[in-house]
Amino acid sequence: MPVTFSPTLPAIRRLTPAAMGLVALLAGLFITPVLIGDEFVYHVFITICLFAGLSTAWNIVGGYAGQLSLGHAIFYGIGGYAGVILMNMGISPWFGMFVGAAIAAVVAIVISYPCFRLHGPFFALATIAFLEVFRVLALHFRDLTGGAMGMMIQLKLGWEWMVFRERLPALIIAFGMMLVCLIVAQVIRSHRLGFYLVATRERESAARAAGVQTVKVRLTAVAVSAALAAMLGTFHAMYLTFIEPAAMFSLPFSIQIAMFALIGGIGTVYGPLLGAVLLVPLTEFARGMLGAEALGLHGFVYGVVLVMAVLFFPNGLMGALQRFPAPKASQDPKVVQAAPVAAAPRAAERPPIGQEVMRVENLQKHFGGLHVTNDVSFSLREGEILGLIGPNGAGKTTVFNMISGFLQADSGSVSVLDREGRFQAPTSPSDFAALGVGRTFQIVQPFAAMTVEENIMVGAFYRHHDVHDAREAARETAHRMGLGPWLDAEARGLTIGGLKRLEVARVMAMEPRILLLDEVMAGINQTDVRRAIDLMLSIRDTGVSIIAIEHVMQAVMSLSDRVIVLNSGEIIAEGKPQDVVRDPHVIEAYLGKDFVHAQH
Amino acid sequence: MTKTALMTSSALALALLAGQAAAEVKFGALYPFSGGLALLGEESARGLEIAVDEINAAGGVQGEQVVLERGDAVDNNQAIGEARRLISVAGVKAIFGSYSSARSIAASQVAELAGIPYFELGAVADEVTARDFKYLFRTNPTADHMGKLIVNMIVEKVAPGLGKDPKDLKIGIIHEDSSYGTSVAGHQKRYGEEAGLNIVTTQGYPAATVDMSSIVLDLKQREVDIVLQTSYQNDSVLFLQQANEAGFKPAAIIGGGGGYSMLPTAEAVGSDVIEGVLDADFTQYAVNTEFTPGLEAFVAAYKAKYNEEPRSGHSLNNYVGAMAVLKAIDGAGSFEPDAIVASVSAIDIPQGATAAGYGVQFGAGNQNDRASMMGMQWQDGRLVTVYPEAAAAAEMRFAQ
Amino acid sequence: METFLQVVANGLMLGGLFAIISIGLTLIFGIIKVVNFAHGEFLMAGMFLTYLITTKLGLHPYASVVVVAPALFVLGALTQRLLIQPLLSARDDHVQIFATVGLSTAMINLALLLYGADIANTPTSGLRTPVDIGPVRVLEGQIYIFLCAALLVVGLELFLHRTQTGRAIRAVAQNRAAAQLMGINANWIYVLSFGIGAACVGLASSLIAPLYPTSSTIGTYFVLTAFVVVVLGGLGSIPGAFVGAMLIGLIDALAGFYIGSDLREAVVFGVFLIILILRPSGLFGTRVKLSHIS
Repeated sequence: MPVTFSPTLPAIRRLTPAAMGLVALLAGLFITPVLIGDEFVYHVFITICLFAGLSTAWNIVGGYAGQLSLGHAIFYGIGGYAGVILMNMGISPWFGMFVGAAIAAVVAIVISYPCFRLHGPFFALATIAFLEVFRVLALHFRDLTGGAMGMMIQLKLGWEWMVFRERLPALIIAFGMMLVCLIVAQVIRSHRLGFYLVATRERESAARAAGVQTVKVRLTAVAVSAALAAMLGTFHAMYLTFIEPAAMFSLPFSIQIAMFALIGGIGTVYGPLLGAVLLVPLTEFARGMLGAEALGLHGFVYGVVLVMAVLFFPNGLMGALQRFPAPKASQDPKVVQAAPVAAAPRAAERPPIGQEVMRVENLQKHFGGLHVTNDVSFSLREGEILGLIGPNGAGKTTVFNMISGFLQADSGSVSVLDREGRFQAPTSPSDFAALGVGRTFQIVQPFAAMTVEENIMVGAFYRHHDVHDAREAARETAHRMGLGPWLDAEARGLTIGGLKRLEVARVMAMEPRILLLDEVMAGINQTDVRRAIDLMLSIRDTGVSIIAIEHVMQAVMSLSDRVIVLNSGEIIAEGKPQDVVRDPHVIEAYLGKDFVHAQH
Repeated sequence: MTKTALMTSSALALALLAGQAAAEVKFGALYPFSGGLALLGEESARGLEIAVDEINAAGGVQGEQVVLERGDAVDNNQAIGEARRLISVAGVKAIFGSYSSARSIAASQVAELAGIPYFELGAVADEVTARDFKYLFRTNPTADHMGKLIVNMIVEKVAPGLGKDPKDLKIGIIHEDSSYGTSVAGHQKRYGEEAGLNIVTTQGYPAATVDMSSIVLDLKQREVDIVLQTSYQNDSVLFLQQANEAGFKPAAIIGGGGGYSMLPTAEAVGSDVIEGVLDADFTQYAVNTEFTPGLEAFVAAYKAKYNEEPRSGHSLNNYVGAMAVLKAIDGAGSFEPDAIVASVSAIDIPQGATAAGYGVQFGAGNQNDRASMMGMQWQDGRLVTVYPEAAAAAEMRFAQ
Repeated sequence: METFLQVVANGLMLGGLFAIISIGLTLIFGIIKVVNFAHGEFLMAGMFLTYLITTKLGLHPYASVVVVAPALFVLGALTQRLLIQPLLSARDDHVQIFATVGLSTAMINLALLLYGADIANTPTSGLRTPVDIGPVRVLEGQIYIFLCAALLVVGLELFLHRTQTGRAIRAVAQNRAAAQLMGINANWIYVLSFGIGAACVGLASSLIAPLYPTSSTIGTYFVLTAFVVVVLGGLGSIPGAFVGAMLIGLIDALAGFYIGSDLREAVVFGVFLIILILRPSGLFGTRVKLSHIS
């Protein structure tokens, strides 16, 4: 049987009882109807498999990527129509399924691309609007879709037509397709794509800094999810034998798909399965028991149950289940402060400062009427530490954003030496990342829902595509950064010092040639500052060039080979640290004119 | 014990009862009991319930009391699920249904594959009986009948009444854009063109619309003489109101069942606005009862059971179909599907012998060939049958 | 030309209808940032209440607003307090959306349970009388809806800008954390805002009930359009919602007449998508910061 149970998958290896529960659940899903042998029970379990599959597919977009799609019926409908239209042309739905999947994937990419600018409820509303447009178009283009009257399939029985008199084959197909969805979801989650998706969901800018092509990974997720939904749509159309636009492109249906995932545990691999397993029979039995009692009674009960489920399990059933095992002592993030930091041993001698690796020329930037960067030029050499200082509001972070691709300069250029020794002019964060420029953020940007190890892995994936290699690299980096003991702790639990180190660790895991550090020492205690200085020096000694925005003067003085002072968007001084701090312009910028006069 | 309690307990104690309840036979009642189609689904089911009561009072079928097991076909997947449940869990010998064509198409396929007879008493789409199923029978008239009747009524009755040649009348067809409206409109167009009528526009719109003023304006601009609307309740009300308020007064408005046959529609738009509006639908209540023997008894039974007037003709037509089928099952000799099919196939009830007026005899695809719709008109706040002549309870009126 | 004017007039009246429904939603959506899928069902509840008061007590439908608006205020406040607020801390923001979906399902079916599937006709009380204004003809009730929507916009704007409570609401809407630091009880403001939003729907239902038949599913006709209007107008912008409603009303009427009634929904949603993609902050919204770079 499938890869899902393979002991090499770490998530399962760690949760052996959970894995056993999963196997039992899946086996139960298949065996129960076979044992009971009842038509209705078959139908309920086929419906469970269908919804579990659809919700799992949805979860790749809605959960992993965090894009709340309420239009997934578009893809399900496309699959259904492709299957039926082709079948009526005499082509087997086994083939139609893949045609539908391909069309759905393309449609998904085309409609999602412009929508990724939208977040939260706006994305959801856009997907609803697309769904409505598709439904109306399906009604309108009668020649293709049969319009409102819908389409029936010719009742050709047998495996090649996916239509059966007996129920077992339909269950086998539904179950098999659900397994495919689960395996795809599991594989994505445990590989680079899954990490990238979750990272993009948690902090888009940090993910981009880590070299993640956020749009590309999301589009991949959407395409995969749509293709899976379309294949299930084809199956369901064959099962229903009749499709119509109102049923195939239905908003309540889309909401239901998302609802199962939500109640089971959004973003978890097996939550959607759990949600469908619990809720589908519940609705079926509520209908059976209450449907005859009074008009609307079971619908009312269903609505109330949904509200209750959301209220009592806001993080889904998986979230509720995970609360049971007590957290291991080593995972307690509170210990972070007291723990020793194992700084890496320093090389005996620093390598000499080499050639130019980054050249910044005449950068200009306006925000509205504000001239935030005025003709800034500087260069960075290999193995050099360049301190970037200046009073608050001087425009340091703006410069950083422009030399890491997050912001486009109005004019001027940034060029970076590539590995072949040529200067390139990168424009996007991923271009910069490709040239070996890594950056941190002043306001720390951890992927809150991920563990420390997973956070660093997002960076490590840039060099190591394989999960195991990335994990090894991440662990090594974590130990170097003194984060070793908290590998399994969730990032949201770290202290500010821990988060700053995590920020650096994530970038270091990318093995950058140029490191841009934005106030990594602000707000951390004296001991940690000293350690951080050692750490930066050891990084420098490996040949990495560093630009550091820093307010902690102790660090600036002891680290920097050169210092640039920025004030009101202009470079007012440049040179060796001890010279720069004596420059009256600098003192004036920091302390005001009166202070300068008083000194003289 | 109330009926529903009885049904619930029987559903619960099904396994126990299966062996002992020899004096009971179960049939399924598969209708949309919740969701958007609930009102007429429920109304349809009442007709079936009254038929069952009548049969049971007369000794049941084959000496056994009929028990109805309800199934709620709220959407197509549920229709399939409920059909499965009725067949395999409740062990029904036949299923009656289902008002909605889409649900009927989905559910009857299950019954066909399971070899359980399925009796459609109310769905109008042609596709239901277009599949040549062995175990599916339809007693009621269809969208095709409706389109045909409306065109015939225009040619034979409305145009002469208006003193015009049918070919000189401009006809506008508007319909809600689900399966029901679209298929009726398609037949109207087809029969209309065959009869040489001048159809100037055909427009669909979503039934869940909140504004029909643009359609009204369009029809007004085209100077349409006869509007054919196939619609549910909300859109019937909207159109009649907005046409009236916009001062659009076509020579005739002919509804295609749905909202046009319902009293709440008349109440909503006011009796002065709906006065004279024509309607084609299943047989309704104000009809020449010589043509529909048993109608008064049905209405009396309905009032006694539900404590109100029938809300539409759906109950009557379901009743008529169910009575014909139940009587045939009574004579089948056993509840074996093939025995039921044989007996039902042999039904031969002439025109004018049922409470709905039409006869029953199954032809191609097991469609009742003798089924027909009737033409009605809102007169003084009542929906009165005016067409065909044999069934008419009053003369068609024309606003001059 | 007359026809065109009539189409435009129809569009504006339709816009008034969308506006009166959407104003409450823009408050809720703009301030609490919750997509309330039960908004249409609030309207349905209000319309049933209007129907009951009008038919049982024989009052003019407009008079029922003194009961309906406060009742809806309570319903809205309770929804926020009991349903949305407990979910504010949930790990996933989408949870609230699904809570309101559940509420919507429960309310539709409760109405079905209580009133059956029949439509309920509130007496029109002469509000369907056509009025000729120059070459165009509209209904008396439609004019009142339009005027009330406009007045409501002005009233709410004054409330939000000129009163202490209104300023507190705006502060919370802009930055919840900062507002809390200023000593504003954000939770209370949310409850209040949800209540006010729902009360606006109460006003809307008293105005709409005499013109449209009430049924358990009436809310679903309006809710998507209301969201379109709110997003077009810009998150939380009340005048924006009004203009957005006019725009959608006009597009709906013009597309219905000139393109075809079966495609008008596609046109409305298509325009919505184009504007949403080109201007995610809506026509009148302030630019929302799109990234977290600092």
